[in-house]
This record gives sequence, structure tokens and C-alpha cells, in this order.
Amino acid sequence: MRSRFDIQLEQLNTELIRMGALVEASISSAVKALIQQDKDKAKEAILADQEVDQKEKEIENLCLKLLLQQQPVARDLRLISSALKMITDMERIGDQAADISEIAIYLSDEPFIKKLETIPQMAEETIKMVSLSIDAFVKRDLDLADRVIEMDDIVDDLFMTVKKDLIELIHENKDTGEQALDLLMVAKYFERIGDHATNIAEWVRFSITGEHKNEKDNLLR
Amino acid sequence: MRSRIFVSMLILVLLTIMLSTLFLFAVYYQQLSKDVEREMNNGVAYVSAGIKAVGYDYLSEIDGLDRNSRITLVDLDGTVLFDNFADVSNMDNHRDREEIAEAMSEGRGQSVRFSKTLDSHYYYLAVRLDDGKVLRISARADSIFTVFMDNIVLIIAIALVAFLILLILARQLTKRIVEPINKIDLENPDESEIYDELSPLITRIRKQRSHIEQQMVELKKKQDEFIAITEGMDEGLIVLDKMGYILSINNRALELVGSSRSDQTGIHFLELIREFQVQKTIESALDGKFLEKSFKIENKIVELRANPVFEGKEVKGAIVLLVDVTEKYRAETIRKEFSANVSHELKTPLTSIYGYAELLKNGLVKEEDVQSFYQRIIDEASRLITLIDDIIKLSQLDERTTDLVKEKLNLYDRAKNIIGTLELMSQEKMITVTLEGGDAWIYGVPRLIDDLIYNLCHNAIKYNRPKGSVNVKLSKKAGRVLLSVKDTGIGIPKEHHDRIFERFYRVDKSHSKETGGTGLGLSIVKHITNYHEGIISLDSDRDKGTEITISFPEA
Repeated sequence: MRSRFDIQLEQLNTELIRMGALVEASISSAVKALIQQDKDKAKEAILADQEVDQKEKEIENLCLKLLLQQQPVARDLRLISSALKMITDMERIGDQAADISEIAIYLSDEPFIKKLETIPQMAEETIKMVSLSIDAFVKRDLDLADRVIEMDDIVDDLFMTVKKDLIELIHENKDTGEQALDLLMVAKYFERIGDHATNIAEWVRFSITGEHKNEKDNLLR
Repeated sequence: MRSRIFVSMLILVLLTIMLSTLFLFAVYYQQLSKDVEREMNNGVAYVSAGIKAVGYDYLSEIDGLDRNSRITLVDLDGTVLFDNFADVSNMDNHRDREEIAEAMSEGRGQSVRFSKTLDSHYYYLAVRLDDGKVLRISARADSIFTVFMDNIVLIIAIALVAFLILLILARQLTKRIVEPINKIDLENPDESEIYDELSPLITRIRKQRSHIEQQMVELKKKQDEFIAITEGMDEGLIVLDKMGYILSINNRALELVGSSRSDQTGIHFLELIREFQVQKTIESALDGKFLEKSFKIENKIVELRANPVFEGKEVKGAIVLLVDVTEKYRAETIRKEFSANVSHELKTPLTSIYGYAELLKNGLVKEEDVQSFYQRIIDEASRLITLIDDIIKLSQLDERTTDLVKEKLNLYDRAKNIIGTLELMSQEKMITVTLEGGDAWIYGVPRLIDDLIYNLCHNAIKYNRPKGSVNVKLSKKAGRVLLSVKDTGIGIPKEHHDRIFERFYRVDKSHSKETGGTGLGLSIVKHITNYHEGIISLDSDRDKGTEITISFPEA
């Protein structure tokens, strides 16, 4: 017979997966909105963000209830505390997807100044990162979490490439400046999403091993 | 059980002690009364004999000797003359005492009286002496209760001893009763050491066991059947409880969702697949609404049907079916493209014919151009006919109509004939066509094989360069006949290799009128090859010429 606590923990687990799925869906909508210049998709992503916010509140309540009523220890406590941190990151990812969508709506009326190449690649990598970080949580898989943390470098490099390309474009033609800035923002958002996915992966690591990267750094100092 | 055995034994023992004590005392008391009576009779006899011999002085002689028996002498009028227990002057008239009255009238009287104050029975025996005076002797006898109370300590002691023995006995007895039951080997009940009274229990256990075993076998069989069915399915099947936890899942479903986890039952379906649309579909099933949706997982298109399972009005869970529709989806796309292409291909020549004919009708064509307009109409019409012919051929091949009878035929002869019919065309383009090899027999439908060779050679000539060459070669390899047609033409770029056998697919997208093809030739070739269980291979690249080799099973 499972105790009430076990059931609530299980519920927390599935709710986190749900929120993860929601966030994944909202980023891919945002990416489609941007690349295919599809305003409907952009609106979907913006709506999804509200749902993500709602989910964050629900999970936060559940976590606090668990902490207060059940006074968990060890592994369970780690799961709940990392859940509290993870939802903040997921919520930020949702916000950024909505931000990208807003820019996408703005960009959908005019042709791109240059065929998008690096940004779709960045989008693909960040979606993969978010997906893998949630997978790592679902499967409690350390290797996957580590892979996500490594992938962050790829996204960071891609951001630098985008930045360089856009600078060149502005050099060549000053009229492209406005769109170039928008695209830079989009790239920055993707880069931020990558950072949040890395955070999630780190929290997954913490919930499994009890060690967080920041702590290790502090110890080394 | 032990306490119950003990209590009942205790009750039994107490009852036994009580009853036997009572009985004993009753018998004992009876005996006592008799003794008292006899003693008194003796006493009366002795005392009256004494009086007779000595006179009344005898009484004063024995006064104080016997304190057990009370001796009283009563005068004729009832006055007490002597009493060895009490002062005579204080005693009242005794004439109305029962035993004395009786003795006075009858000569002998007897009575028993109970003295509450002393809690004793008093026995009285009175005899009338010769002079009419009455001699009375009385004795005291304790009541049963008093006797009992006198012996109570002894009785309690006996009861206590019995109680102790009982305690030990009860313990041993319960142990002897219970132990064999506890030691019964449920796996092999017959081998246990038991006492007779347990054998019905053993028989029942045995029956129960065989019953359970039978049910287990049946259940196992049913489960195996279920697993065999679900594992044999081409569809993925997931059974969920009302909370969304997986009750059962088959391997096909795992394969379709791309999961490699082994312990799938008992986990939430979200841990298996969390894709947002899938989640919504399954959750609506758990809410009681049937939904069907296609979605992409990796490279597959999977159709998901989520059925709620009702018990009464309440949703008890959901059954999710996953079907791989990638092929179906692809086939549908091809069909859609095909019908779009067919309409387009048919419309183009018809529009031209319509245009030319209209111009001619309205007399807008110069006299000297009329002939060329007629020629164009004829060309377009014949193109239309070829196109329709090709489409009919393809649809026949699609339907696999049975009137196509295979017979043994020689590819060499067939190739030779066809090269003959194409001679005019090859001469026009100054292309040399050579035929290599010898007799090569296969089973085939002559008309189709002709079409196949014609299409290959026709393409080889059509897409060749002026003064090029076409080499048709027949050879045998490992029980198969190889037909290869090689040209020195423009070649097919590698990126088109996957698609050139598709209907209406052209390397040259402009649908060039110059070459006049329908875009169906290679598609027909492929269908005919498939119909003859042949294998087609392509070796070509841009400007490198093309070699198409088809291998047939040898007849």
C-alpha cells in the first residue's frame, strides 16, 4: 500500500514532466513561428506561457505542501527542493519562448535580411537540450544530464557565430540594422534557454547525487 | 485457543471439586447423624439402666462426666428435675416439648431441632422411665455448612494443587493440539505428521491446493494468451489505469514511442512519452472522450487512438492504440501527387490542341502555317494517347490483373526485335545500338517485357548525345538473367536516384517538350520488374552515362 506521501511525490513527478512537455511544446511553437513566419504558432507559444506560469504555481504549492506536511528527508527532500528550482528555470524558458514569439510576430511581416541558418541550428540545439534535460529528470539519468551541460558550449558558440554574422551584415548594409538587432535578441533568448536547460540538468544531478555544481565550486575556492 | 482450553478445563475441575465435596459431605453428614442417633440410644439405655439400678442419685454421679451429651430429667408435670448443662431453677416447664410430650404419651419421643444461634442441629431423644418421669438426652451435630467451613482450607488447597496441575496440563495439551497444525507442510500436506482428527483438514487443504493450482494454470494460460496476442499485434497497445499509470504495454508500443526502458508497467505514461499533443489525447481519453491523432515520433508518423474504458459511467482507464502510418501516409502523398500530376499532364496537350483548333476555326492562321498547325495538333494528340496508354499500363500493373499470363520467352529475341523497331529513331540521332550476349530464357508476360525493353532502350537513345552509343547486354549470374542497358548519355545526377522511378518524376523539371516523354517510362519499368520478381539497379551520374541493370530469375 502506498502512503499518501508516496502518492504526492509521484504526483509531483508527473506534474514536473507535464510542465516539461508544456515548455517543450511552447519552444517548438516559438521556433516554428520564427522560421516559418507563422503568427498563429507565435500566439500559441504566448498562450502556452500562461499555462506554464499556472503550472509553476501549482507545482510550487504542491512542493510547499509536501515540505510542510510531510517533512521529507534525504532523497525526497532533494527531489522536492530541486523541483522548486527546476520549475523556476522551466518558467523562464516559457517566458523566453513567449519573448521569441513576440519578436517572431514582428518579423513575420517582412522577409529576412539573410537566409536563416545559424538561428534554426541554435533552435534545434536548444530544443534538444531542454528535451534531454527533462528526459534526464524522467529517467533519473546522470549521463543525459551531463550531456546537456556539455551541449551548452555548442549553443554559446553558435550565439557568437550569429553575433559575428549580424555585425558583418550591419557593416555591409546599415538598413538591416533593425532586423539584425531583433535576430540578435532571438539568438540571445535561445542562448538563455540553453542556460536554463543546463540549470535544470544541474538540478537533476543534484536530486540524484546530492551534489550541486555550485557547491563543488565553492569547495574548490 | 490455549486460554479457551484452559478455561474450560478449569471450569470442569472446579465443578468436579465442588460436586464431589458436596456429595462427600452429604454422605458424611448422613453417616454422622446416624452415629449421633445410635450414640444417644446407647446413652439413654445406659442412663436409664443406671437410674434403675442406683436411683436418681446416679444422675448426680455422672453430672460433669460427659460434656458432649446433655442429660435432662423431667417430672410428670413437666418440671425439670435435673440437667447437666444448665441450672434447673432457671428452666421453664418442658412438658410441651415435642419429644417429651411424645415420650409421656408413647413411652419414647424423638425430635431434631435447629439452633440458629449455635448453627447446630440438636438431636433429642426422650424415654419415659418406669415411674413416669422422662429422661431426655440431647446431642449436638454441626451443620454441613459448618463442617464445610471447618474444612475450607483443605478444599482450597486441593483446588490450588488441581489448578497448578491444570495449568501445566492445559499448556501441554494445547501444544499437542496446535503444533501439528502449525507444522503442516502446505506444499505436501500428506507428508505431515498429524493426528486422526486433523485428516479432514488435510484433505480439504489438498483439495484447495489442487483447486488453486488449477486456477493458477488457467490464469497463466490466459495471461500467456493475452501476451501472445498483444505481442503478435502490429499495433502498439498500452493499457492505462484511471490515473494514467501503465498496466500493460506491448513491445510494439515501446518500439513506436522509441523507449528502451524495461520496467514499463507501473510507471506513469508521461515518463514514457510526454509529447504535448499525445499527452492531451491520452488525457482526454482518461476524461472519457475518444480521440484520434497522428503525430511524429523520430522519423515515424504514428496514429494514436485513445479509447476510454468505462465501468458504468465512470472512467476506469484507457486503452491506447498506436499504429505506424508512415507507409500509408507516404502512399497517400504519392497518390495525391500522382492525381495532381495526371491532371496537369493531361491538361497541357489538351490546352494546346484547343488553342490551335480555335485559331484555325477563327481563320487567324496564315495559309502557309495551317499545315504545321495540323501537325502540332496531331503531335499533341498522339502525346496524349501515349500518356493515357502509359497511365492505363501503370494502373493495370497496380491492380495486378490476372489476364497477364507468363510464358517462357527469350530475352535476346525480344531485345533484337525492339532494337529493330527503334532503328529509325537511333539513325536520326546517329546513335549506334549494339546487342551483346546470347539466348536468355525467363518466364514473363511478352507484352510487358517488350514494354520494359522498349522503355529502357528508348530512354537510352532519347537522353543520349548525338553520335553516342547504346549497349544492350544479356548475361547470366547465379541463376539469374541480367539485362543491362548502357548509354553514353547525359546521365542522372546522384541526388535524383531515389526518385526517378516515381511517377511523373523528371530530372529536368521543365517537362521539356523537346524530348516528349511522359515521365512514366521508368515507373512502368519498375512496376514490370517487380511483377517479374526482378531486381533493378542503377549506375549513373551527371554526364557519365547511365547503366540500368535488371536481373530476372532464370527460367
